[in-house]
Order: sequence, then structure tokens, then C-alpha cells
Amino acid sequence: MDSLGYELSWYLRIAWLLPLLGFAIEVFGGYWGTRKTKTAAYLAIGCIAAGFVLSTVAFCRWNAETGAFSHSGEAAVHEEHASLRHIPFAGQAAVADHAEGHAAEHAEHGSGEHVHGEHASDGAEHGGAQHDEHHAEHQSIAALSGTIYTLGKFGDLEVSIDYYIDSLTILMFMMVTFIATCIHIFAVGYMSDELTEDYVDHFAHTSDGHHVHRPGRFYRFFSYFSLFSFSMLGICFAGNIFQVFVFWELVGICSYLLIGFYTERKSANVAANKAFIVNRVGDFGFIIGLMILWTYCGTFKFGDYEVDGHERPGLFSMVRGHDGELAQQGSDVILKTHGHDGHWQAPQEGESKTIPYTLLVVAGLGVFGGCIGKSAQFPLQTWLPDAMEGPTPVSALVHSATMVAAGVYLAGRFFPVFTTEVLLAIAYVGCITLFIAATIAIVATDIKKVLAYSTISQLGYMMLAIGLGGWAAGLFHLITHAFFKSLMFLCSGSVIHGCHHEQEMPKMGGLRRKMPITAYTMLVGVIAIAGLAIPGTGQLMSLLTFGAVDKPLAFSGFHSKDAIVATALAYTQLNPLHFLLFLTPLVTAGITAFYMFRLWFYTFAGDPRDHHVYDHCHESPKVMWVPLVVLSFFAAFCAANGEQGSLFGMLSFSEPVGLADGMTATGTAAIAVPSHHAVHDVHGTAGAVALLAAVLGTLTAYLLYCRKVVDPENIRNQFSGVYNFLVEKWQFDNLYDAAFVRPSHSVARWCAACDRNIFDAILHGSVKVCIWVATIDRKFDEGIVDGLVNLIGNVTRSVGLSLSVFQTGRMRQYVMFIAVGVVTLFALLFAFMPKA
Amino acid sequence: MEAIGLQPVLFVSAVLFVCGVVCMTTKRNGIGILMGVELVLNAANLNFVAFSRYTSLGLDGQVIALFVIVLAAAEAAVALAIALNFYNNHLTIDVDRGDELRG
Amino acid sequence: MSGEQILFWLFAVTACAGAISVALSQIVVRMAVSLIVCLSSVSALFFLHNADFVGAVQLMVYVGGTIVLLIFGIMLTSSSPFSKIKTSPAEGFLSAGIGALFLSIIAFTVTQVDWKIQSDKVAAAAPVKVSSEGYNAAADGNTARPLALSFLGLRPDQNGQAPGYLLPFEIVSVHLLVVLIGAAYLARTKRRVAPNA
Repeated sequence: MDSLGYELSWYLRIAWLLPLLGFAIEVFGGYWGTRKTKTAAYLAIGCIAAGFVLSTVAFCRWNAETGAFSHSGEAAVHEEHASLRHIPFAGQAAVADHAEGHAAEHAEHGSGEHVHGEHASDGAEHGGAQHDEHHAEHQSIAALSGTIYTLGKFGDLEVSIDYYIDSLTILMFMMVTFIATCIHIFAVGYMSDELTEDYVDHFAHTSDGHHVHRPGRFYRFFSYFSLFSFSMLGICFAGNIFQVFVFWELVGICSYLLIGFYTERKSANVAANKAFIVNRVGDFGFIIGLMILWTYCGTFKFGDYEVDGHERPGLFSMVRGHDGELAQQGSDVILKTHGHDGHWQAPQEGESKTIPYTLLVVAGLGVFGGCIGKSAQFPLQTWLPDAMEGPTPVSALVHSATMVAAGVYLAGRFFPVFTTEVLLAIAYVGCITLFIAATIAIVATDIKKVLAYSTISQLGYMMLAIGLGGWAAGLFHLITHAFFKSLMFLCSGSVIHGCHHEQEMPKMGGLRRKMPITAYTMLVGVIAIAGLAIPGTGQLMSLLTFGAVDKPLAFSGFHSKDAIVATALAYTQLNPLHFLLFLTPLVTAGITAFYMFRLWFYTFAGDPRDHHVYDHCHESPKVMWVPLVVLSFFAAFCAANGEQGSLFGMLSFSEPVGLADGMTATGTAAIAVPSHHAVHDVHGTAGAVALLAAVLGTLTAYLLYCRKVVDPENIRNQFSGVYNFLVEKWQFDNLYDAAFVRPSHSVARWCAACDRNIFDAILHGSVKVCIWVATIDRKFDEGIVDGLVNLIGNVTRSVGLSLSVFQTGRMRQYVMFIAVGVVTLFALLFAFMPKA
Repeated sequence: MEAIGLQPVLFVSAVLFVCGVVCMTTKRNGIGILMGVELVLNAANLNFVAFSRYTSLGLDGQVIALFVIVLAAAEAAVALAIALNFYNNHLTIDVDRGDELRG
Repeated sequence: MSGEQILFWLFAVTACAGAISVALSQIVVRMAVSLIVCLSSVSALFFLHNADFVGAVQLMVYVGGTIVLLIFGIMLTSSSPFSKIKTSPAEGFLSAGIGALFLSIIAFTVTQVDWKIQSDKVAAAAPVKVSSEGYNAAADGNTARPLALSFLGLRPDQNGQAPGYLLPFEIVSVHLLVVLIGAAYLARTKRRVAPNA
């Protein structure tokens, strides 16, 4: 096991650090090469593609050892109360004593490698009599962790660079590197007009009204991309929450740089600032959470670790132990610090480490605050649509597929530390977000803005799922969404590129005849996100595949959304009070289908509305449409067979302990979480209603925008109040403007006035006094001191000059002087000396 | 034997001395000036010897006279070297031409 | 008038005449010849005053050495055999006037001082018993021997009680050496730097 963790960490480590190397080289591209070479792009693509290859190798190794992918998720659903934690280890048909020996051997290795999981005996007691023997008898691993480098040590406290590898980590690596590779390749085509010494920016104007001319920034774009890839992989790789925070901020700055890529445009600058500042609000909560955890738990590490040969529990073990239960005692939570080999329990007697329950809630909410900011959840969702100011590949990579998903990823990763109250908050935040964003997307006309709002909405779905305890469902949607959303963004990029930077959908129309590949790959993405499926094909598939697949024929979005809606339904059945958590996503599923098909019909179907745009548009070059085709394949089939599929199975393999059986209503929130079994029971119903909603939405869009049964203009006029409310994005921007921006501006103005009138006045006054004193001083210096010195000098000089007359230079004269002097002296002597 | 007495010798010495001084003031030739100096020194020597003969100075006067002769010889050597350099630089021995340092 | 006095006056007049001739002559070579006459007469005066050794040194060093040196100097520096560099008559008269004044002052001083009393005062103030009379060859013998001893630090003429002249003698020796080296250095031919170098 040591070797596996070591090996995997090296694959991922190299995959993680390669883009950093690329960045280090690319930043000097402007100096080393000309602005007309694509070297930077090739370098960036090479780094990230090598990262993908390494991730794939790591994936295969992981799969070979755990069988997580190939065994699929059937164990979870088909077997009664089967715990997903007990996937056979390493394909060994080993008996229990073999496993024990392995465990002992592992215990002897003190290199900081830890395997989190349970022994067969635990699983047996957990799973009960019905537990499949095949699974029960094997040791299982869920995560590997270890330390790469210790940054600092303060007694028992340790800050280090760690890794934490489980299925989620590996899937994130695969997803990020794969999508990033596709988008890098796409960007070579999209950014090709930057390959010049003189780029004319038609959207930026100088003060005299001309377009801005500037050198192209091809290499800069790719260096930012590489830095971003490095940072994003760093988040996935990180083995402690502090490390996550560091890379969290790094992706933040990359996002800032990329949104403000067209730095001459004021709108881009404002958007970049907005994104950065709004994220800071969330990160403030993140820091509070970090401080609480550091204070009470004394570690940032996710996984168990060793200090001086003693095993210590990581954050997850400390809070949840090995059975996933909180050990509550009054208003405190006892931290499980006793035990070894992944068995962590509250100490039986004596001193125990505790954390107040409320502070655990606050810590969870704080960390989730960071996720809200990064994933653009309500109430910090306003920055993401503005972030579309960046180039479209940026929107595809950073602001839809990966960085914004990092919030969801962290919520998933940190799941064990969240209490039920926090989970409820997460669920409601996700619920509100998904509805608000979907409604705004209906009225948006900018093609990228529609996609941005749909991104927010889908992120809301993921948060909702995690909040509902559908951990695997949420992260499942994260992966599928990453594929189809990056696909759609790239398609929109292709459209924008083809239409010469026209983004307004009302000016498009009928483009499918001009750019078929873009149109039909986009259609794949639209169907995927809308969650359409062919009902009744489940039985057909079952027949065709001999029961291996019994899901209806559908693209990935259907499966993942289906899982979320099913979780919501099961949850609502357990907690009827929170029925909105089911109804809202259901309704929004219909809205989603509506606005996505509206987008497609608006852009690609019908007749051209603006012939100028239509005549000049063209299909994108091969370098751009090949990634579209590749991505559309994955968008369609990555989630094949839904919850019985390999992807879901692999995810649920690393699901936090105890989720599979659900949670009974305890504590102050009195929230119960459905078990996998319960979710599976309602799956059919939920799938049916969700599909119905999606079909309804699609039909509406077809009738309105394709058949033109009713003119949307009429509806708009009819409901102008609602329409304006939606166009104004639920007035959030105006609200924040009035609540925060304007007050802070006025405070700033007041401070500025204060500065000018008080501090500046004091400064100016003291300066004047200083000048006055200095003037007097100068007069004294010049008049008296200098005058005295000059006087002495002048007198000396004039005396010397007058005496120099006697220095005739004639030797004989000097002798004469001496003689005269002597004679005179003696004469005087004789005349005046008294007689002796 | 009647002694000559001190005063006549001092008179002779005074004449030599004054002649030396006049020599120094009137001669434009550097060698002439040197000769004036020699005359002055000789006058002094004559005085020393006279005082040695007629006063309590005794043999010390003669010793001093010897020192003076020696120093005069040395002075003559140095002065001659200076005169030669002067001649090299000015292509004449006229000391009135060497007034570069006049004020 | 004894023979000694006759000799004295003879040499005194010769010395004065030589000196005046030096002062008045405009030709350098003649000045040198007059100087020889003058210095020789002075050495004769030294002999007359019992300073036989000093007189001999005067003849050898001055007449035989310094004058030859001067004549070399004349030969090296004059452009023509009888070259003369005239002084203006006004300067000559001025110098003569000053010289006359100087001479009268000295003569006045010499006649006004009673040298006998001054000599006695000095003898009385001396730490050792000295004669108020000067050195007398008739009484003390020739001067070469006592002078040589006094340069070695011995004073037989003062009963061995006065200090000798060993240290000044050494200092003068070194001084001479330095002066000769310096003279040689000054007089050596300087290598002129070529103007176009």
C-alpha cells in the first residue's frame, strides 16, 4: 500500500507540476520568441497533455488496485445495505488473515502513508448478515495520503505540503487535464488573431476615439492558462485544507488575470475586479473556518498522519472517526483522537479534545462561504456572468468546467466536517441559486451570458445534491457538467469566432447551415444539459446488454440530474418540511431545458436575422472543431448507465463513511439523510418527473422559438414587470450597488475629503512653516556666516595681492632688500637702544 | 712684537663683506653672485680667526672657520649645479631672467 | 712698525683690493682672478694670526678647489670668452650707496665696542678656566695637532675640560656626502623628452 500511494502521488505530482514548468518558460515567451510563433501554445498543450497521460496512468493503477471503476456502482444499489466502502482490495481473493498481515505490515511502515478505510471485520458488523461475503472479506482502501514536504513545525503542530488521493482526486485530475487539453487546442485556433505585432481591439477605444492598437498576447494567454492548470490541479492534489486555500487563491488570481485579459477594455477591468473582490468576501469566511479548525483540531490535514512515529488522526478521522458518527457530548463534539490504523474513537476516559458544536457549524459555514464565492452561489453569484468578459476558452475552462467547480469539489472533499445544519444551508443555497440563475438565463440574449447563468444554475444543482447528502450524485454532476458545459462554451466560442465577435443571439439565426459541426456538437451539449432521454429504452438496453445496463438511452446530463432529483425526492420524503428542495430543482429542470433549447434555436435554427453577420460567418478551422467533437463524445457517453455506470461507481467508492445508510434525524436541525437504498427506491419516479419537466421545457422552446406559435415579443410585453426584473438579474447588482458599492464609495469620498481637508492641510501648514524657517535660515547663512567667511577670504586675498608686488622674482633685489633691512635695523638699534 | 690688534682685522673683514654684498646685488651673472657669497663667507672666516687670536674664543674660532670653509665648498658645488640647471633651462646665466615666480 | 705689521697691512690691502676688484669688474674671468688674489691674501692673513692649519685649508679648498669649480662653471655657462652682462649704472650707484652705509655701520660698531672687556666677560662666565687671551702659537705650538685632537673629541688646549667636536665633525661629513650626491644629481644631464613623442 505504501508503494501504491507513493507511486500514485508521483504520477499526479508530475502531472501537477508540469504546467508550472510550462508557465515558467512561457512567461518569457515574449522575450525569447516573437509574438508570431505558437511555441507557447505547443508547450502548454504538451504539459497539460502529458499531465492527462500521467493522470490516466494513475487512474489505471488505482483501478487495478481497487477495482473502483471496473466494478461499477452496482454494489451500492443492488445489494441490500451494502456499504460502498468495502470494495475488494487489489483483486486479491484473499482470506482474512492475509488482510490482517497486510494491515500489520502497513502499520510497520512509518513513512507517513496512510490508508483510510475499514477492515473486513468492521464491514461485517456494519453490513449485517445480508452483506455480500465477497466484499466483506477484503480489506478496502478509500484514500491514500501522505506528506511531500514539511514547511514548518511548531511542537505538535505541522504545516506541510500533503497529498490526499482517492477516486475523486483521480477523477478530478482526469477531468481537468482532459478538458484543459481540449480547450488548449481549441484556444490555439481561437486566439490565433493574437499572433501579431499589432492587434486592433475593436471593443476598446483610446481617449481620442480610435481603436486601441497593441501587441498580440498569444504567449501571455497560454502562460496564464498553464498557471491556472497548475493551480487547479494543486487544489485537487492538496492533502490539507491550508494547501487548498493557497491554490484556491492562486486560481483566483488566474481568474482575475484571464477575465481582465483584454485589459484595455474598461468592462473587462471592472469584471475582473468584481470577480476578485466578491471572491474575497467568500474567502474571508474560508479563513475564519481555517482558524477555528486550526485552533481546535491542531491540524489542517485531511488524512491521518504521523508525528515522531505516533499516528495522529487527520481532520476527517478526528471529526467523524471510522464510523462516520459525530461524538456529541452536551454542546461539545468530542474529537476522536484515540486509536490507530484508521480506527479512531473518542477516548474512553481522561482528557478528551473537544470542539464546541456551534464552532464546528461556524467552521463548516465558513469553509462553505469560500465555496459560495468560488462557485458563484447565492448571494455571491453576481461575478460569474461579468466574468464572461474574458476570451471564450477562458470561460470554458475557468468559469464553467473547472475553477467554479472547485467550490463544489471542496464542499464534497470537506463533507465529513460539515454538520447537518451546514448541509441544510448548503442545500438551500444551492436551491436558491439554481432557480435564480435559471430564471435569469431565460431572458439573457448574450450567448455567453446564457451559458454563464446555466453554469451557476448547474453549480446550484451540485451544491444542492451535496447538501442533501447525495455526495456522489453532486460530484457526478460536477464531472458530467464539466464535459457538456465546456463543450457548449467552446461551441459558443466557435460561433463567436465565426461571427467575428458577435455575441448577441438576436443577430444570429440559421447558423447551422454555415457551421454544421458546431451546431450539432452544441446540440449534443444542449440535450445533455437539458436531461432528455428516450423513455422506455431502459428495458431495451437491458435486453441488449443482458441486464448490465437498464437505464434509458440518454446523454450524461440526464443521469447525473436524475441522481440529484432522486436524492431530493427521497430527502423530501424523509423531511416533508423541506419540500421546496425537491420542487425547485424539478421545475428548474424544465426551465433549464427551455432556455438551453431557446439558445440553440435562436442561434442555429430558423432564418438568419442579421444578414451581415450571417454572410460573413464561417465554420471554424479544424483545430477548433476537433476538440468539439471529442468533447461531445464524452458529454454524451461519459455517464453511461447512470448510477450503475462505472463513473458513478468510482465516485461512490470514495464516498464519506456512513452516507450509504443515511442518517437519522438527530440534533438541533432534526434532518434525516436518505440512504442509498431509499434513493434507489424513488429513482424511477424522480426520473420520470424530471424527464417530463425537461420535455415540457423543450417543447415550449420549440413552439416559441422554432414554430413561432406565440411571438416571444408579446409575452415580453405582457409580463414586462417580470421581464425587467429578470433582465436586471433579480436586482442583485443594483442591490449590491446600493448596499455596498455606493456606501463604500461615499465612505471613500469622505475619507478622501478628510485626507484633503485635514491631513493635507496639516501637512501643508507644517510645510509652510518649514519653508519659512528655512528661508530665515538661508538668509542667516548667506548674510552672516558666508559673509564672515568671504570677508576673511577677501581680506587675506587683497593683502596677499598687495604684498605680492614685492615678490619681483629678481634675486638681486632680494639681496638688496636684505641689505637695506639690515642697515635700517642697525640704524634703528643705534638710535633707540639705550647705552650700556 | 707688537700685536696687530683686533680692530684692523675687523675692518678688513668689513671691507670684504661689503664687497661681497655689493657683488651679490650688482652682478647679473649667477657665477658672480656665487663669488659674492664666497667673499662674504671669507669675511666671516677672517672674523672667526681674528677672534680666535685675540679673545677668549681660542681654538674654537678656528674650528668654526674650518666648518665654514667646508660648508662653503659644499655650497659652491650645489650652487654650481643650480647654475648649470638654470643655464640649461634659460640658455643664459642672467639671473634676472629667472623671475617666473614673481608676484 | 714690525715686520709682522708690515705684512699684515700688505696682505690686508691686497685682499681689499681683490675684493673691490671682484665687485667692480664686469668680466667674469677677471672676477675669478681677482677672487684668487683676495682669497690668497686672506689665507696669508690667517697665517699671520697663528691659524696655520686654517690658512692651509683655505689655500687648498678655496684657492685650489672652489675657484677651479667656479671657473668650470664660468666655462660651462658663458657663450663667449669675455661675455659680460651689464647692470644699469643706477643699480650700481644704489648698491654702492647701500654698501657704503653698511660699511659705515660696521666700522662704527667695531670702533665703538671695547673688545677686551667683552672678552674678559666671556672668559669669566665660562664654566672652565679659559684664557681671556686668544690662541698663541708661540705659547701653544702649531694648531694642526690640537685641531686634529679636538675633532676627535679631545681638548688638550683647554686642559681637556671643554667639549670636543667629534659629533659636529661626523655630522658635517655626512652633510658633505649628501650635498655632493645632491650636486651630482642636480648637475647631471637631463634626458630631454622629444617634443613630438
